[in-house]
Amino acid sequence: MKVEFVNPFYKATKDIFKLMLNIDPQRKDLKILEDMIPGREVSVLLGITGHLQGGVMFSFPMPMSLDMIKIMSGMDINIIDNFASSALGEIGNIIGGNALTELSKHNLICNIIPPQVFVGEHRSLSLANQKALLLTLTTSIGEFDLSVFLKTGQ
Amino acid sequence: MWKDSYSIGVDLIDEQHKELFHRVWEFARVIRSSENWEDRLEQVKETMDFMKDYVITHFNDEEEYQEEINYPDIEIHKQAHAKFREGINQYVELFEKEGLTEEKIQEFGGKLMTWLIVHVGKMDQLIGEFVRSQGGQNNES
Ligand SMILES: [Fe+2]
Repeated sequence: MKVEFVNPFYKATKDIFKLMLNIDPQRKDLKILEDMIPGREVSVLLGITGHLQGGVMFSFPMPMSLDMIKIMSGMDINIIDNFASSALGEIGNIIGGNALTELSKHNLICNIIPPQVFVGEHRSLSLANQKALLLTLTTSIGEFDLSVFLKTGQ
Repeated sequence: MWKDSYSIGVDLIDEQHKELFHRVWEFARVIRSSENWEDRLEQVKETMDFMKDYVITHFNDEEEYQEEINYPDIEIHKQAHAKFREGINQYVELFEKEGLTEEKIQEFGGKLMTWLIVHVGKMDQLIGEFVRSQGGQNNES
C-alpha cells in the first residue's frame, strides 16, 4: 500500500466536494491501520479491481451526511432514505471515477465496483491482512474519513 | 436545488437548466413523500415521463447551441450527454421490465440529482467560459 495511491482520491474528494457542496475539505491527520477501519454512521464503500485491488471507503457522521444531501437538494432531509443513500453512493462513485482517471495517467488501469452504502451504528470494516491509510478530513459541516486500501495486483 | 453559481451566462441554456433542476426537485419531492405509494404512482409516472423528454430536448438544444458557436469540445460534451442519457435509459428499461417500485425510483432520483449537479456544475460551465473567452455577451439579452 503506497501513500501515492491516496493522493488521487484525496484530490478528487476535494474537487467534487467543492463542486457539489461548495465545501473545501482540509486534511487533518493520516493514520495507518492494520486490521480494522473504524466506520462512522454512514459509509460508502467502493471496490477497486484491475492494476490496483482493494477498496476505498468514505465514512461520515449522520448529521454531516444529512447536511450533504440538504445542500445538494435544497430539501429538508431527516433520514437517509434510498434517495439520499443513492446520491451519497453516486458522489463516491464520481470521486472514485475521477481518481481512477488520474491513476490511469500513471498507467494504472482500474475499475470501480458499484458503491455500497451502509447506514447504521459505526459499521467497521475488517481488512483481512491488508493495510489501509485513513485520512481524516475536516469541513464546515463536520469531520469525515477517507480510507484507502489498495495493493498492486500480482 | 438550483444555485446561481450553476449559471453559465447563456440565457437559453440557463433557463432550461433552471427548469430541469426545478423538475428534478419536484420529482425528488414526490418520490420522497411519506404519502401512500399507490396514491403517488400516477404523479411519479407523469413527472418521470416529462423529465425524460425534457432531458433529451435540453441536451439536443444545448448541442445545437454548441454547434452554432463552434464550441471546440462539442464531441467530448456529446459523449457526456450520451452517457447521461444511457444512465437514464437503464432505469427506464428496468422500470419497463420490473415496474416502478418506490425503492428503485428513489435510487434513480438520487443518482439523477447527482448527475445533474455534476454535469451542469462542471461540464456546462466550460461552455460559458468559452463564450466569455470569445468576448461573448454573457447574461445580456
Ligand atoms: Fe450539457
